[in-house]
Amino acid sequence: MTAVWTIATLTVREAVRRKLVAAFALISVVLVVLSGWGFYRLSHNVGFTSGETHVALPEAVILFMFMFSFVVALSASAIASPAISSEIDSGVLQTVVARPVRRSEVLLGKWLGMAGVLAAYTAIVSGLLVAVVYWASGYVAPDPEVAAAFVLAEGLVLLTVVLLLSTRMSALAAGVLGVALFGIAWLAGVVGTLGTTFHVQAMRTAGHVSQYLLPTDGLWHGAIYYLEPSWFISQQLAETPGAQGNPFMSLAAPSWPYLTWAGIWLVLVLVLGLTSFERREL
Amino acid sequence: MAEGLTAPRRQADDGAVSGRALGDPGACAQAPGSPAIHAIELRKRYRQTVALTGLSMTVERGEVFGFLGPNGAGKTTAVKLLLGLVRPSGGEAMVLGAPAGDLRTRERIGYLPELFRFQSWLTAREVLVLHSRLRRLPRPRWAGAVQDALRTVGLSGRGDDRVGTFSKGMQQRLGLGVALLGEPELVVLDEPTSALDPVGRHDVRTIIRELRDRGTTVFLNTHLLAEAEHVCDRVAIISQGRSVATGTLDELRGARPSVRLRVGGLADGWWETLDRFGRWTPDGDWLLVEDVAAGRVPELVSSIVSLGGEVEAVIPEQQTLEERFLELLEEK
Repeated sequence: MTAVWTIATLTVREAVRRKLVAAFALISVVLVVLSGWGFYRLSHNVGFTSGETHVALPEAVILFMFMFSFVVALSASAIASPAISSEIDSGVLQTVVARPVRRSEVLLGKWLGMAGVLAAYTAIVSGLLVAVVYWASGYVAPDPEVAAAFVLAEGLVLLTVVLLLSTRMSALAAGVLGVALFGIAWLAGVVGTLGTTFHVQAMRTAGHVSQYLLPTDGLWHGAIYYLEPSWFISQQLAETPGAQGNPFMSLAAPSWPYLTWAGIWLVLVLVLGLTSFERREL
Repeated sequence: MAEGLTAPRRQADDGAVSGRALGDPGACAQAPGSPAIHAIELRKRYRQTVALTGLSMTVERGEVFGFLGPNGAGKTTAVKLLLGLVRPSGGEAMVLGAPAGDLRTRERIGYLPELFRFQSWLTAREVLVLHSRLRRLPRPRWAGAVQDALRTVGLSGRGDDRVGTFSKGMQQRLGLGVALLGEPELVVLDEPTSALDPVGRHDVRTIIRELRDRGTTVFLNTHLLAEAEHVCDRVAIISQGRSVATGTLDELRGARPSVRLRVGGLADGWWETLDRFGRWTPDGDWLLVEDVAAGRVPELVSSIVSLGGEVEAVIPEQQTLEERFLELLEEK
């Protein structure tokens, strides 16, 4: 495990030295300032009734988190895509794997380092969001820490799959494919939601299957659920026609079997990545 | 093949075990003091391309072994096989008494790849500390090992500079420093002087000689014959994925020793008596005798004198390594 820790700390140091952390900090500041301004305007808008503001705040938090989850997913893809392929092309990895370290230790160390950076980024921005929304509007979502964990899990799923791709593909191909898969999974989730609304079994099945094939959208719906107050769900179902078809609503928390599957999926893909890298000829 | 050269096939026959897969711990178990490198019919195929067709060789401990061959001969593939970076298609290899690629054995090997880069955002000192950790050197030894490596490769004053600011030559020096970390038993250098200026090349040769003096085995992969001539104890010449000759430099170069003599006063009819020394050719005032057996030059000179000849100059002539190298490649 010493080698895993060495590579993990090296990966974190790379993120700091190569200005990735600085870029994250800059994005965080922009997000927090914009959200602070937005939520302040929303809660102090004289054109809104208090009831409208009451409903708008949870929706705005979900939309903000959706945008943030997209940033997390893109970041995961961007940092994972060059992790193996680019370092093989440049010759950096040849000097490392000739040492008494297993390739699986190298890959696991990189995964841990990148996951750590992503976790810190998600936690800090989510925490700042909660604080700034509370400051601007007095509103606190029900379980923001659980929602942040789901957003992070979504990022980790993409990080893991792109890392697997990076053991066999160029950084560009792995990154593009990762983002495309993320987008397709989200779209398939929307299709599934529409299928539920309009009672089209094939669409519902497509959405359902996609959530198992790449669990990013399923995890995103978990994040949504934990940002929704219970009254919000009841009210939307009662007052808004077609609320079930809203891709930014979730009527139930992800089931434990589904979460278990997402965990197994992540471990399986990680093991696949380890095997792929072990077998790769340098 | 000339006398003194070691035939690859013969080496293969001498192998303790043959025909087992590389990496099999039970294969070719060797006692301490076994050769630094022992390869038997090592083969590698990349889809349609055959990189190694059956490489057999033995590198003894403590020697500087040159691995020579033209571009595309399979040299770098062989190095990667020996280090476990690629898997063989057949044959086997033992390195420091263990199957090639063995994890623990890598602690005792230093490697300078042909094409490599270090993390540009680390300083030279940080790169060396990283490799001290990866090499599993005990922590108390890190500082000393790093300082030694920096001093050895002439980067003492640049240890705290980022690698990204280094020239290619300086990166090559750092790569050599990384390979030498912790005094490995075997140092594998793949084209170590490719990016260096003449001063750098001279420094590398000095380092290699110092390594030999302290008993380190050096496996030098190069296509620069002059480099091999300067530092190697023995060399193998590789062509089309297999070794075509192995031996000391003298054995290789001296395959057909000749001697050029400036001779006067020798009657025409007497020259034929020199046939027993080798093929001779008159060349003005000079006489070129080829294929002279080792140690027979004094006897040749005294024979000429006894025949009434006046020997004014004797110049032994050997093939250069380059001539022999080209000859071997043509033969194949």
